[in-house]
Amino acid sequence: MQPSARTMPDTVGHVTTQDNRPDLVVLESVSKRFGSTAALQDVSLRGCAGSIHAITGENGAGKSTLMKLLAGVHQPDAGQIRVAGQVLRLRSPAAARAAGISTVFQELTVLPNLTVAENLLLGREPSRAGLLDRAAMRAEAQAVLARIGIGLDPQRPGGSLTVGEQQLVEIAKGVSTDAQVFIFDEPTAPLNRAEVDKLEQLLHTLKAQGKLVFYISHRLDEIFRLCDTVTVLKDGRWVATEPIAALTHDRLIALMVGRPLQALFPPRAGTPPGAPALDVRNLTPLAGAASARLQLRRGEIVGMGGLEGQGQREIVRALAGALRPAACDIQRHGRDGQPQAYDPRLGVAQAVRQGIGLVPEDRKQEGLYLDLPIADNLWLGVLRGLGLVRQAPRQRAVVSGMAEQLQLRASSLAQEVGELSGGNQQKVMIGRWLAAGVDTLLVEQPTRGVDVGAKAEIYSLLRAFVAQGGAVLALSSDLPELIGLCDRILVVRGGRVVGDVPAASATEEGLLALALVDAPAAAAEVPGVMAEVAA
Amino acid sequence: MTALRSGVSRTTLALPLLLFGVLALAAPNFLAPQNLANVVGQITALLIVSLGQLLVALVAGIDLSVGSVMSLAGCLVATQPDPLWGMVLALLLGLAVGIANGLGVAVAGIHPLIMTLATATFLQGLAYLVLPIPGGEVAPALRSLADGSLWGVPQPLLWCALCAALVYGLLHRSRLGLHLFAVGAQARSAQLNGVRVVGVTVAAYVGCSLLAVVAGVYLAARVASGDPTMGASFGLESVTAVALGGVQLTGGVGSILGVLTGALSLGLITNGINLFGISPFLRGALTGALLLAAVCSQRRKVVGL
Repeated sequence: MQPSARTMPDTVGHVTTQDNRPDLVVLESVSKRFGSTAALQDVSLRGCAGSIHAITGENGAGKSTLMKLLAGVHQPDAGQIRVAGQVLRLRSPAAARAAGISTVFQELTVLPNLTVAENLLLGREPSRAGLLDRAAMRAEAQAVLARIGIGLDPQRPGGSLTVGEQQLVEIAKGVSTDAQVFIFDEPTAPLNRAEVDKLEQLLHTLKAQGKLVFYISHRLDEIFRLCDTVTVLKDGRWVATEPIAALTHDRLIALMVGRPLQALFPPRAGTPPGAPALDVRNLTPLAGAASARLQLRRGEIVGMGGLEGQGQREIVRALAGALRPAACDIQRHGRDGQPQAYDPRLGVAQAVRQGIGLVPEDRKQEGLYLDLPIADNLWLGVLRGLGLVRQAPRQRAVVSGMAEQLQLRASSLAQEVGELSGGNQQKVMIGRWLAAGVDTLLVEQPTRGVDVGAKAEIYSLLRAFVAQGGAVLALSSDLPELIGLCDRILVVRGGRVVGDVPAASATEEGLLALALVDAPAAAAEVPGVMAEVAA
Repeated sequence: MTALRSGVSRTTLALPLLLFGVLALAAPNFLAPQNLANVVGQITALLIVSLGQLLVALVAGIDLSVGSVMSLAGCLVATQPDPLWGMVLALLLGLAVGIANGLGVAVAGIHPLIMTLATATFLQGLAYLVLPIPGGEVAPALRSLADGSLWGVPQPLLWCALCAALVYGLLHRSRLGLHLFAVGAQARSAQLNGVRVVGVTVAAYVGCSLLAVVAGVYLAARVASGDPTMGASFGLESVTAVALGGVQLTGGVGSILGVLTGALSLGLITNGINLFGISPFLRGALTGALLLAAVCSQRRKVVGL
């Protein structure tokens, strides 16, 4: 596109910033379009060696796209990239790596059929005379894992790793690359607290070694704890680059959202909850597992949390009919107040017919039809309630009314759902069930992958839903979210509900204590399982 | 780990043993030296071409053109008076077909079924052009490589061992081998890790076509002449053998041992059909049914291939 860019002598590459450190990476007026959408417009960015530079902004702000230009995944339509004063054209991830740029992508790239060692060294395997040196590979992987302090067997297949372990492998892969520039794209999402601490140590080590770290995140506490400089993007444009010391939480949020944020969580209902929408006397998701008891009443949002893999996900899935429970005894009161039996073993279709909808954690795979328009995705909720050959009513009024209620931000209702931001996708997912007339929502990770602004809207949506007599069971691994959003919080351990805490008086420490096997002290003896408060 | 990546299970291992046992007991002539030599000769071509099919299956592809490549390679060596020149021509053919298939799939994004069906049809036409009716003569030097024995080992076994060793080295001792598994499991993830997906895919198709050439030359040398339809049945049979051997046609899982068991099973079934005097037309029907059964028995996420 710009033949001159390759050979152009560099005259401004080593401009110094105010603290007199040379810029290692300079992105100058880069732009990128995908089809008709401008993902990045005229964004410039400088990063200097020996610093951790946060890139933040709402989802869809262009953070990942910007970094993918530097990682060689995409090529800029305009503008140039300079690393250490050299103008580079990075045509592939391999080229970026060769230029000393190592990236931990947001999407997990661990391959299931390769071992941990093979995954770690993929693309840069040690070889001798053109042949793979397996012994060196094992030794190197072992050394990397040991240096970083990850207790993983390098011979384990990638397919047997949990999401958290896969992320650790990604981080180990990124950190062990001999590079000058490191990019981390939201690396902490699947990690527990101990692992996050470990990651932060690694980042500080890199900084001390004079490397440049770009850290994409929208977790404010992480940014304030870790980073030296923050660049904020919004809608594909540069908004601000500030030293962290010059910013407050509120100021940063205002920069990200572009407007002052109202209270994130809507006020709780003043009225006591009504009849139980789900009265679960016994639910055994898997044969031989513990059975859970819980009650979900109309007019309340009940949260559910606990350590990773304690069976809370199975409880929610079994309630929704998405997982056939081994045994269950569930009573339910319909909107009319009449008690009725509910048997999730009859499947999802029956659950929906009885007014129970599941908003799955992985909405892209399990919930939405990404290549269908918004209107069809919403409309599906209405269709679900009808017989196969019943004539469907006209959809436009229903769908546009729903879109208004959801405060969807889209170019039109004909836009494909796959093009929407995470927050708007989640709204469509919830809107589908609202259109279907369900009165009980089971929500897994209500705001995973949703930016700050849309979070507040989803919270009010759920609050409005229960205010009209609905009931919500929200499974979340985000403790502040559980405390802020819910009326009550159920803590699950070993497949049982071991705690039922009013959210108004709940604290993160208190929930953690309930979620851990005994007291936090006992869990600390088991390395790696500490404080895994995740669903 | 190995089970996860090789796809070999007890069933895949037991199937050829079971078939061997049944044939040994039920078919009187099965254990006759003449028949056994016959079986080995038949399985050799299938095994070699299936090893190629394995490479392509690992990157989630499929190569239906191997049959036509075999036919055309056989016709080339049968019509060229100089055996060396014939071999060179045939190998160049394999190289060209492999590159075309690989680029079509990896760069142009054509579905492998369509891409290789197109080249298969194209090459079949060329084969008829080179040798309209079965005939020609394979040079004695080449013939002597396919028959008889060397150091007391039947020559076909040497062809098998050589090809298997080559593919083993490629899959398990080279970086390319690891990249084949990586691309087959998730091409995008492999790409993000710096694997050159296009190059790896093309390499898989080239390897497959070259092995098909070897199988074609072997087959022509064995019968001493060329036949424009010689390889016709091998396209689907190699896919069936690979699937019987636990290789996942969705990519990333497969092994040489599996392909060996698959080719043995299919070869023994074919031999059984001959020995029991069952109509040879049933062979095609059986291959189709076996392919369906093998694919259905595979554990996989995506229903389809």
